[in-house]
Amino acid sequence: MGEWGQRIRRLVLAAMIIALVVTSMSLTASPRVRVIRVSSWIASAVSPISFSLAWIGNKVGRGVSTLANLYAVEQENRILRAKLVRYNAMRLELSEVLADNGQLRSLLGLKQALGGWKLAPASVIARSPSTWFDTVVVDRGTSSGVRPGQAVIAPQGVVGRVVGASASTATVMLILDPRSGAGAIDARSQAAGVVSGANPVSGLLTFKLFSHRPNIDSGDAVVTSGYSQYYPKGLLIGQVTRVAKSQYGLTETATVRPSVDFNNLARVMIVLSHPGQAAVPPVFGGGRS
Amino acid sequence: MPASYRPLYWAIVFIFGLLVQTALLPQVFPAGYVPSVMVSLVVLLALYESPRRGLALGMLAGAMTDLLGGRLIGLNTATYGLLGYYVAKYQERFKHDQIFVPGLIGALSQLVVAIAQWMILNAVGYSLPWQVVATPLPYWILFGLLFTPAMGGILGIRPRVPSKSRRH
Repeated sequence: MGEWGQRIRRLVLAAMIIALVVTSMSLTASPRVRVIRVSSWIASAVSPISFSLAWIGNKVGRGVSTLANLYAVEQENRILRAKLVRYNAMRLELSEVLADNGQLRSLLGLKQALGGWKLAPASVIARSPSTWFDTVVVDRGTSSGVRPGQAVIAPQGVVGRVVGASASTATVMLILDPRSGAGAIDARSQAAGVVSGANPVSGLLTFKLFSHRPNIDSGDAVVTSGYSQYYPKGLLIGQVTRVAKSQYGLTETATVRPSVDFNNLARVMIVLSHPGQAAVPPVFGGGRS
Repeated sequence: MPASYRPLYWAIVFIFGLLVQTALLPQVFPAGYVPSVMVSLVVLLALYESPRRGLALGMLAGAMTDLLGGRLIGLNTATYGLLGYYVAKYQERFKHDQIFVPGLIGALSQLVVAIAQWMILNAVGYSLPWQVVATPLPYWILFGLLFTPAMGGILGIRPRVPSKSRRH
């Protein structure tokens, strides 16, 4: 009887643990501000050590990659010399284009739009401890005006959005995350859809298009549509690399290579506020949509 | 006489592991390839504990990882808990040494945990392709093989009592 009682007690305990784990997982399957706030607090508490380790890691990583690249450098040097000749010719052409660009920018009044943007620069101090989720911790928090929902950008384009913040740190869900989801349009054809993370290893994004027969091609630039509450309109997301029909052939899905190099993401800018209907400064990929 | 119960020591080791995993390793490994330091630490500690303590330390490591990640809380708690339990349960079948056994179990655990978590994630609605596991797996296994015994040496983790006197 005693042995049976103990067995039943163990079974009940195991069932309770399983139920607790399943409930917890189902409740936190999607990012929740309150839960992420707890993780932000923890990240905030350990941020001085994280920052130091990230700095050391950065130096170590650079040292390792320098050694690894030593053999490739000579070959690369030869290729670069050949390219240099071509680039010198292109430089003359480019100076002409730059002059035209400057005129166009002033014509469009984009300089004025740039003035209305309030950005907070931040450094990445840690990444998610789990391989499956693409989040990073940055060294700016609510004391700098950072709030959940704000977009995070880099000079190359969209990085992600803030999902949780403590006083001195914030958790940013990268656009690579499977649950990111950003409203996007093809800059050329204006075909609309949703971009989300598809594969953390390849670092590619999936662009699910709303239209049955969208006009979309490889090489097209994909920018934020402005339909989502998080991202301002016109931020560069990436470039289409492949277009394919979905499983049942009803919709088309494009594969997008993000414009931001997430492996070398060290500094980002958090969009604290931006003028409602203003176009995005061209340096962030705007001016095309 | 059983070895002393040291949850505070485990917690300190796991905090160190989490910091290495979130701040140091992402600077060296590309995104998606960062191996799990916590898996290696759970294996190292569970190798010299009873199954009940293995379960407890695994769950502690998992809960700390889940809390810092803030997503899908329970995924790591469950998988690391089971890992700690089974490593502690079957550790007496192996002849203990400081390099090969921790290395092999560390490598095997990286494989098992990655596949188990991938299966759970797909079951709860994250449609992650198999490539996400298959591509970085060789790097994770190699990391487990080398890092686990190295960490054991650095932290000085070794049997504290003769195995016969260990409580189950």
